[in-house]
Amino acid sequence: MEFLTNSCSITTYTHPLIITRVPQIHHQLRLTSKTKTLSRLTSRGSIRCNGMREQKAGPMDYYELLGVSVDSTAQEIKEAYRKLQKKHHPDIAGKEGHEYTLMLNEAYHVLMREEQQRKRCKVSNNNRRGGFASDFSGSGYNSSWDGPLRSQALFVDENKCIGCRECVHCANKTFVMDETGGSARVKVQFGDDDKNIKVSVDACPVNCIHWVDSGELPLLEFLIRPQPKESYGVYGGGWERPGDVFSAAKRLKKHLEREENQCTHGHSYHEEGEGDAAEEETPAQVKARQEASMKLRLEKYFGIWSWLGEVFISK
Amino acid sequence: MAEQFYTVASDSETPADDRQQPSLPDIAIGIDIGTSQCSIAVWNGKRVELLRNTRNQKLMRSYVTFKNEVPSGGASQNLSHDEQEILSGSAVFNLKRLIGRVDTDPVVHASKTLPFLIQTLDIGDRPFIAALVNNVWRSTTPEEVLAIFLVELKVLAEVQLKRPIINVVLTVPVSFNRFQLTRIERACAMAGLHVMRLMPEPTAVALLYAQQQQQSLHENMGSGTEKVALIFNMGAGYCDVAVTATAGGVSQIKALSGSTLGGEDILDNVLRHLVPNFYSLYSSPSVDKIKSMGLLRIATQDAIHRLSSEMSVSINVDAGDGTKIFRDLDRSEFEEVNRSVFEKCERLVSQCMLDAKVVAEDITDVILVGGCSNIPKVKSLLRALCKRKEVYQGIDPLEAIVYGAALEGAIACGVNDPSGSLDLLTIQATPLSLGIRADGNALATIIHRNTAIPARKEMLFTTAHDNQTEALIMVYEGEGKKVEENRILGFFKIGGIPPAPKGSAEISVCMDIDASNSLRVFAGVFSPGTQQPLSPFIEVRMPTLDGGHEWCEALIKKYGSELDLATIPRKLQP
Repeated sequence: MEFLTNSCSITTYTHPLIITRVPQIHHQLRLTSKTKTLSRLTSRGSIRCNGMREQKAGPMDYYELLGVSVDSTAQEIKEAYRKLQKKHHPDIAGKEGHEYTLMLNEAYHVLMREEQQRKRCKVSNNNRRGGFASDFSGSGYNSSWDGPLRSQALFVDENKCIGCRECVHCANKTFVMDETGGSARVKVQFGDDDKNIKVSVDACPVNCIHWVDSGELPLLEFLIRPQPKESYGVYGGGWERPGDVFSAAKRLKKHLEREENQCTHGHSYHEEGEGDAAEEETPAQVKARQEASMKLRLEKYFGIWSWLGEVFISK
Repeated sequence: MAEQFYTVASDSETPADDRQQPSLPDIAIGIDIGTSQCSIAVWNGKRVELLRNTRNQKLMRSYVTFKNEVPSGGASQNLSHDEQEILSGSAVFNLKRLIGRVDTDPVVHASKTLPFLIQTLDIGDRPFIAALVNNVWRSTTPEEVLAIFLVELKVLAEVQLKRPIINVVLTVPVSFNRFQLTRIERACAMAGLHVMRLMPEPTAVALLYAQQQQQSLHENMGSGTEKVALIFNMGAGYCDVAVTATAGGVSQIKALSGSTLGGEDILDNVLRHLVPNFYSLYSSPSVDKIKSMGLLRIATQDAIHRLSSEMSVSINVDAGDGTKIFRDLDRSEFEEVNRSVFEKCERLVSQCMLDAKVVAEDITDVILVGGCSNIPKVKSLLRALCKRKEVYQGIDPLEAIVYGAALEGAIACGVNDPSGSLDLLTIQATPLSLGIRADGNALATIIHRNTAIPARKEMLFTTAHDNQTEALIMVYEGEGKKVEENRILGFFKIGGIPPAPKGSAEISVCMDIDASNSLRVFAGVFSPGTQQPLSPFIEVRMPTLDGGHEWCEALIKKYGSELDLATIPRKLQP
């Protein structure tokens, strides 16, 4: 009995599940405080999970958090993740590391999955057709973002643009004239202040400047670029782009989604893929991943458009 | 751990380095409580040292005997109890298989052939356990037995280290649910110990492996490539599998799987094979039966041990009550009797590899630990599954777990080692999925299994009825699609939902697991389309319940589906 009375009277025990203090904005977060996730998660105090409806962090944020470039390999991402974990994991940094490690885990999870997807799709792509439209370089044509990612973005329908230069005149940091195509396009999203942008949109005589969902922007910007047409001997060839870029984008998106499903299911390690199926993504994650791997996948689907018998305007 | 109240911004670049190195006395000790054996280890400033008891044993038999009214355990006895005395009814052992289980659990029923009293009423209550003291069954609980044992270990360590011991890192089986973990914590609290971490056993091995890889890297300046290891741990009570990716001293747990499967099951199978009516003979032990049962157990256990090195063994035992075994047992017969056990091992390994998304070719090393890893069939099985000729050699299969626990203890206490051998980290994963009840009896999983921790996930739910103002959040753990197939952790109610048509309210449920694996659930109500919660969020630390489903039945009886929740499409999830 001695043991029992002994053990029960000991009061020095502190419960391991002590309520954690509301984490302060830790100095370690300073360097990445630009990213929305960080500021959201830290400023909210103890209930940090209730503001999720704010704009979810895009893939850029994840790359930034891990301190790697967008074109990093899986190996580089892993190394960066481990290095940061070693510095910030609660086992090492104490309780303050909790918030930061949460985001590291999230970023790593999303990026690694995206990497896997990319690898699988690349394989299937190579199998199906021999690197169609491999000349796609991406960056030169797409608009860049100045400041935070917003839900709305500017897009010029270059099919309609008459090249009046009105928008370039009003907001010259945002719009730029494409002299070879004779039309305007967006160089930097929100390069000027909101007032100038509004004026320039209103000033367009043919109303070819559109406010679009920023998620659809890469798709639209890709489609509006003239693509080399597959030629059959002396017939065909040249350049083309869809006549109605918006409906084309809508259809392409649907197609992408369908392909994506096939991609996940067809290439998962096992058919039942319990692990894969269990790890469904939230739409925000889907979006984040899609955006980052969009470029690669867009290449191969462009060919489908000619096959679908879209009406194209040859340039 | 002392909280830091002021943070100077200029110090921020090296938060881990300028931490004050705590003086040695604060280092947590590592304890591996096995079903049959246990051990303690501690970081002594240079390396991990296993403590020995007064009989100079590093591995101590886990049992508590209640003879002469004063309970005493197997750790620090000056005189060792011989095996037969342990099996005489006065000792309670195998408590790791009993702790935190209810009397409807098949594992508890299977344990009824142990030579002490286990009574079950099959109502979902905890089983009644008693030891024979002076011909009286004296009742006890698994927590109490474990606490008595832990006190002995604590005293043993205090005497040798000449300092009070408060902080410990304990290793637990992967398949332990959160309720069982709280029971372990409870036992530690009774023994005056503070649990810093409860580590799944194979992850402790993973940490040791990470250290070895790091050291060999320093020695031959090899490349710091990622190494994937499959760790298989099978002891007397539990079988665990883990896949870990290791590089640069960081061990990332990719997947965990585990089951209540071990040497006890093998022993039980062989006993039933040798004595077909074993269960009916000994399921409710009377005093004279216990002695013969003990004799049979000892003889069989010995035969199983010998079968690891011999192809065939002979068993000669007279239990004294008419039951006699005089026969030979060869290896193929033994393997046939335990085929279901080995098949289950195989499934666990394949499941773990599947979850970790690795194939045999990706695995660098296969590590076998635990007492049952000595069985030739287990070895050949793992070799076949992982397609290799040899398993990893650099790890002592019986000491690896406690070694890893002591390393984790030192790391979690912030000890820095100048030689870099503590420059390690394990990124744990949660072995079981967590979710809440929604859409009738379905389980809406919020955190999936094998998610790296710390982890936090939020999900939105909505009301199931028009003008519903209250909702019940019922938290479950497990992999089943229906809530009944999972284990309930607790429930709470949130109110203040504005009356509206069904499906329009927004109820946010968020789960947060911190590095020490404690789970908190937050819930609150938003008015649609806004960012501000309508009322303060509710935060609940789980598990809050120790029982099973009887509470759910009471809730359904009282409220029906009145307080139900519905999921909202993934598209609208944050």
